[in-house]
This record gives sequence, structure tokens and C-alpha cells, in this order.
Amino acid sequence: MSASEGAQPGGPLGPPVGEIVGRLELEKAWLVDPVSDRQGPGEIVVIDGILESVVWLEGDEATGVTDRGVVVAPGFFDLHAHFREPGFEDAETVGSGSAAAAHGGYTTVAVMPNTQPALDDPGVLARIQAAARASGSPVEVLAFGAVSAGRAGEQLSAMGELADAGVIGYSDDGSPVRTPKLLRSALLYAGMLGLPIVDHAEDAELTGGAEAHEGYVASVMGLAGWPVAAEVNAVSRDLAVLADALRDEPRARLHLTHISTAAALDLVRRAKAASLPVTCDVTPHHLALTDEWIAGARRWSWEALAADGTPRDPWADAVLSAWPYNTSLRVNPPLGTATDAAACLAALLDGTADAVATDHAPHTVVDKEVEFGRAANGISGIETALGVLLALVDAGKLPLARAVAALTTGPAAVVAASPATAGIPAARPRGLTEGAPANLVVFDRGDTWRVTPEALLSKGKNSPLLGRELPGRVLLTIAAGRLAYEDPQAGDAE
Amino acid sequence: MTTVAPATGTLTATGTKPGAWQHRHLIDVDVLTWPEIELIMRTTDEMKGILARPIRKVPALNGRRVTTLFYEASTRTRVSFETAARNLSADVVSISTATSSVTKGESLVDTIRTLEALGAEILVMRHGVSGAPYLAAEVFGGHVLNGGDGWHAHPTQALLDLYTMRENLPGGDLRGRKVAIVGDILHSRVARSNIWSLTAAGADLWLCGPATLLRGMDRWATAWSGGAVPGHGRFNVTTDIEAALRDADVVMGLRIQRERMQGGLLPSMREYAARFQLNAKRLSLAKPEAIVMHPGPMNEGVEIAPDVAISGRSVITDQVANGVAVRMALLYLLAGAHEAAAGEPAR
Repeated sequence: MSASEGAQPGGPLGPPVGEIVGRLELEKAWLVDPVSDRQGPGEIVVIDGILESVVWLEGDEATGVTDRGVVVAPGFFDLHAHFREPGFEDAETVGSGSAAAAHGGYTTVAVMPNTQPALDDPGVLARIQAAARASGSPVEVLAFGAVSAGRAGEQLSAMGELADAGVIGYSDDGSPVRTPKLLRSALLYAGMLGLPIVDHAEDAELTGGAEAHEGYVASVMGLAGWPVAAEVNAVSRDLAVLADALRDEPRARLHLTHISTAAALDLVRRAKAASLPVTCDVTPHHLALTDEWIAGARRWSWEALAADGTPRDPWADAVLSAWPYNTSLRVNPPLGTATDAAACLAALLDGTADAVATDHAPHTVVDKEVEFGRAANGISGIETALGVLLALVDAGKLPLARAVAALTTGPAAVVAASPATAGIPAARPRGLTEGAPANLVVFDRGDTWRVTPEALLSKGKNSPLLGRELPGRVLLTIAAGRLAYEDPQAGDAE
Repeated sequence: MTTVAPATGTLTATGTKPGAWQHRHLIDVDVLTWPEIELIMRTTDEMKGILARPIRKVPALNGRRVTTLFYEASTRTRVSFETAARNLSADVVSISTATSSVTKGESLVDTIRTLEALGAEILVMRHGVSGAPYLAAEVFGGHVLNGGDGWHAHPTQALLDLYTMRENLPGGDLRGRKVAIVGDILHSRVARSNIWSLTAAGADLWLCGPATLLRGMDRWATAWSGGAVPGHGRFNVTTDIEAALRDADVVMGLRIQRERMQGGLLPSMREYAARFQLNAKRLSLAKPEAIVMHPGPMNEGVEIAPDVAISGRSVITDQVANGVAVRMALLYLLAGAHEAAAGEPAR
């Protein structure tokens, strides 16, 4: 497939992207339905965009069908992506971002409002919605509005108008909600509107000039340390302010995004146990990558974990194979140790983390081909999220059903928990539901693909996984009954 | 420790290249094996021989182009590199970022590509951001020699420090010798490079300073505490100046910058001096024959007392003189690595 921008060609057999899928029959695949919590051999039939039948196979018919081959799951939902439009179209557009999302198996994406201008009034949202329609992609693009006007952290944005126009919540992502006072107002006002505040938890007082997770790797590499306290402090602040706000506005809700440290996840775990209305997500890169990648290691986080739960030493292990200071590893929050990654996984397994969100953050070469400490923060990750989670599944660390749920029912439940969005289509449980428009991803766990700049449909080639083979080639993505992505080699394989 | 065969060939007469050097760039000492460090030391010996002659110039790098690109102010390092290059008869081009296109916003990558197009073969680079020379080496077709990057590394300083210590210690052996480095460890590329080279040399290394200027170093020391890194000894991190200096063979002071007070890391220079200054009284804790070092530039009266800096124990001027010889050795080895490293991993 050509990696050209804009409209994507269809696969060799299928209709062009955006067209209704007329007829699709998949026989003897492994179906995963997180709503009925069922998985096993089965068949599906899509006719004129509708998932007409889902048949679970048993006995002889099921013989030889395993979860190691072709898998069918509901289309994924990303709670956190940056499509950069308007303002930074060199890095990504709604069109290129949607194509990338579909390549990653996603059928719904919520974009963050740190555009230029910021998504702080309905006019900017209208531009994004128009760009989504014009792209021809059937991927559903939802949006968060800014918490503060211009994301400046001073006054509230046009929250009510944004709610009327259809935002699913508010965030100043890229930055934390600047002050506890503003956060309190935002939680109350958004609560009144039935929408959540999504906070990027960072105490910026502690992270000025910081370049990498404060620890062994940063010390050796002379990188300014980003203390764990920065995230813990912010999460602690947010939870305290939420508890306070709830006394005045019981509909106040908080979602914490890209939580990355063991200590902060513990705070969320305790808050949930105390029934605070808080949800959180973790990213694929904080699950699978660690700060030792900056030094040149390229092993997964679970391979870097010693038996006692501490990180192994990449210098002692002589695993530094890649060029150091790769700026595609500069990300906010920074990659932690193998211990932090294990804590993210534990949070995903015990439900402390409700969802996996990509924080897809495409950047131009100009913003990344610079000194490490001057590089923009962010990883282009919406196309590699599935492969990274499947690497965890392959390693026996994460059940396949839990991985799928974290990409489907998990994010949907986060949206469903807010009164104003509980009824929108994206909030519905994402299952393999007969009679509904098809929202599906079909991927082959038995096949791999190599992450290359050409293979990525995102304009952002800032992936630390470039050059790596990932498990789980996406064969087909169908959003709302329409073709969103088809693997260009899908026809050849038959 | 492994012993190595002497370098083959004679440097001055024929310009024969020693075969043991495999690195295309030198960005930090972490990639050097002990035999490679010994090769550098022996090559430095030869260079010192040249410097002792009436005419301190050999044709080893005749016609080769050495470019110095300094993004940070420096007097001694830059002059030292350029003197070393000229002693080897290289053509030297000196780029100061204050007068170059960098002030017009040119990126590092574009600057490197431009310098290469202009014929640069060996690029000596100093930059304020850790890791910047790796970015340069990624796009540069020649050799990158790191003249100091951010807080990360200053390999020629560490090697000249090692050379100076060996020169001044009986037997030239660092094994078991106590080396104390005192000052702003957190922001020091000199300290970081010295950790690699001195632990490789088998020294008993102590890093000392106020807790605010040691941040993070304990985690490094802890990671190595089991002697887990092959070929590398362990080191100690302490805020106790007396423990650091007691029975030391080598005491090195590091510069304390005034900006550290604005950053809330130090109450005052006066208080630093009162608690950590290398003065005669404190140095009496060290061995009587202990040497005193400083990478410069010094704040006399702050991290080091003026009388100590010029005392008979001070080898600070030896460091400066040895710096030229070490840099000659590295320029020579890198230039000779041109053929050897073809097709090898760039690191």
C-alpha cells in the first residue's frame, strides 16, 4: 500500500475506504467478545454493513481454530490521541490520523484539544468534524474540549457551548489543569454539564527542564531527572480536589490519563476502593518500554525485570544495541523503569486502569531530529498499540481477552460513566452484536509486520519501534459498517 | 586486568596506524575496554615525547581536516584541541556558534551536514545538551570527538585525568587507590566520564558534595553496588567530606557555579566553602603524598583554597599540559580508525 496522505485506497478485493461493506464472511476465526466475556472459534457474516450473524463453533467444526490465528474483535476505541488539526497539519491531520487509527484496528478515537487554536470553542470542533467527514474515513472522531480558554490555565473555556456541540469531556492535555482552584471550578462546572475532566497529571514545578525518568539511566546519561513525585503530587492533588468538589456537585468526574508510576497507580487504586468517581488509563509505551531504551536497550519491559521486581542493568547485561538518545523515546510522562511498567500492567489486570489509551502524539522530523533535551515530547503510537499488547499476550503477561477489553469495553465504560455521554453510540458496550452496524477489527496473531516509516500511515514517524517486527497484522477494520482499513496483502494470502 | 601487546609501528617516522583501535567516534569512555584505554595511555606517552622536542610538530595528520564546533564557551578545552591538531599538522577550522548560522536558528543536523560538505573529517564538538554528539555522529560521515556534552560526558578530560593520576602515582597503577571527587557531581560531565574510567582502572572512587548536587548518583552507585558491571568496580557517594578525603591518594575539586544558588540548590557560596572547600586543613586527612586536581576553570576561594591550588600537591598545570598530549593521541587514533572502522558499527 502506498503511504500517501489523504484518501486511502482499498485493499485488492474490498471496496474503497468509506464504502459500505457489502458482504463479508469470515469462517473459522477466533472471536473475542468482551461484552459477553466469551471467546472461541466462530464465524461472522456482514451484509450491507450490518453484522448479520455471529456463530460460535463447537465440536468438530471448531477443530484447529485457535487464538493464535485470525482473531475477530470489536473495533478499538482510543481515549487519547492527537490529530494535530487545526494548526499542526505537518505533523498529522484528521485524515491521516484516521487512516493510522484504522490501520491500528481503531474505529473510534477521541482527540485532544491542544490544537492551534486550542479546541476551546465550538468553531474549532466544527472544523475537526468537517475534516473528519471530508477525510472519507468511517473512523468516528470524538473530541475533548479545553478546560481553560486557550489552554492558558486562567479562565474556563466555553464549556457549555462545547458540551452542546458534542465534546465528550474537557482536558488541558499536554499540560495539567494549571491550578487546583481552576481544577475545582472545572470539575464543578463540567459535573453540572454531565462531563468529566481529563487531567494530564504532572506537577510542572518539579519537571521544569526534566528530560527522563529520574533514576539510574538518567544519572548515567546525564539527563535531568523527572521525579516520580511529579505524577504522584498531581494525582494526589486531583483526587483531593475531586473529593472536595463532589460535596457540591455529585456529578463531578475525573479521568486520569497516561498514568505511569507505581505510586500514582496506588493512589488511584485506593481512590477507587473509596468509591471516588475516578477512572484512568495507561499507554502501550508505558506498559512495554522503559527508560533503558534511551540508552540503547531494545528489550521489552518484562524482559528487563529482575526476579525481585527491580529493573535489570542494561549495561551489565550488555544489551545496548541501538543508538542512544533516540528522540522518539522522549515522551511525557517519561518512560519509567521495568518496575513502573510492571505496575502499569498490574493496574490493567486488577482494573485500576480502566483502559489502554495510546496518547498518539505524531511530530514532524523538524521537531524530533534535534538534541534529545530539545525534542518535542510524544510517540506516534496508534498503529503499534495492538502489536505491543499482543507482545504482552505472547509473553503470557496479559490474557488476550483482557487486552481486547482494555481497547474496547474499557474505554467505552469510561465514556458511559458520564451522564451527558452515557447515551452516545461510542459509550455502548463494544461487543460482537448481531443486527448492529459492524464495528470490527480482524487481525492475524500468526502474522507479524515490520514497523517502518512507509508502513505507518500516520504522518508522525516518531516511533521507537521502527525496524521492529510486531505480532498481529491487522487485516481488516470496519467502522459503522464501512471499510476503514484493509491490509494490502490480504487478497494475496488467500 | 588484561595486558595488551604494544602498539605496532612507530608514530613519528612513518605514520603507521596502530591496529588495536576500532572506534570511529569517541563520545564517551563507557565504550572503551581496558586494553583500549591502555592503548590511549601509551599513545599519549608517545605524544608527550613529541611535545618534549624542540620542534613540537609531526606530520601524522598532514592534510587532514579537524573542525572544532563549540556551542558552549570554553578556553582551555578548545585551545587544547586546536593545539593538539596543529601539532599533528592537521588543518584546523574553528567554528564558534556566536558568529555562525547557529544564531540564525540553524539546527545541529544542518550545521553538521554543512560542515561535512565543507570538508570536515574530524569534528571536535562541545554542546550544552546531553547526547548531542550522538545526534551529530548519526549524520556525520567522519569522526566525532566529544569535547563535552551537557551533564553527560567529557571523555578527553577523564582520560587526561587518568593519565595525570598514573603519572603521579607510584607504579602508575590506580588499583585500590582512593580517588575523591568533590563538588557539583549532579551537573558534571567530568565526574560521569571519570566514573567509567576510574572504576575500569580499579580505583576506590568516592563522589562527595552537598546532597542537592549528588541527586541521582546514589542510584547509579547502588546499581553497581554488587560489582555487577563486568570490568567495572564500584564507587561510593557521600555527603561526608571527611570520609571522602580520609587517606585519599587523589583529590579532585569540581567547579561550583553561581547559578546553583538561584536554582535553590545551595544557600550560598560561603556556606559551600565552609563545608566542602578543599583547603589545607581538610587535605591533611588525605595521604601526605596525595595529589590535588581540578578540571578548571577554578573558583579559587570557593571549591578550592588558593594556596591549595598552587601548592606542591597540585598537579592542575600537569592536567592542562597532558590534555594536549591526550587529545593528540585521540585525534591520531581516530584518524587512523578510518579504514579499520569501515563497515563496522558506527559506535
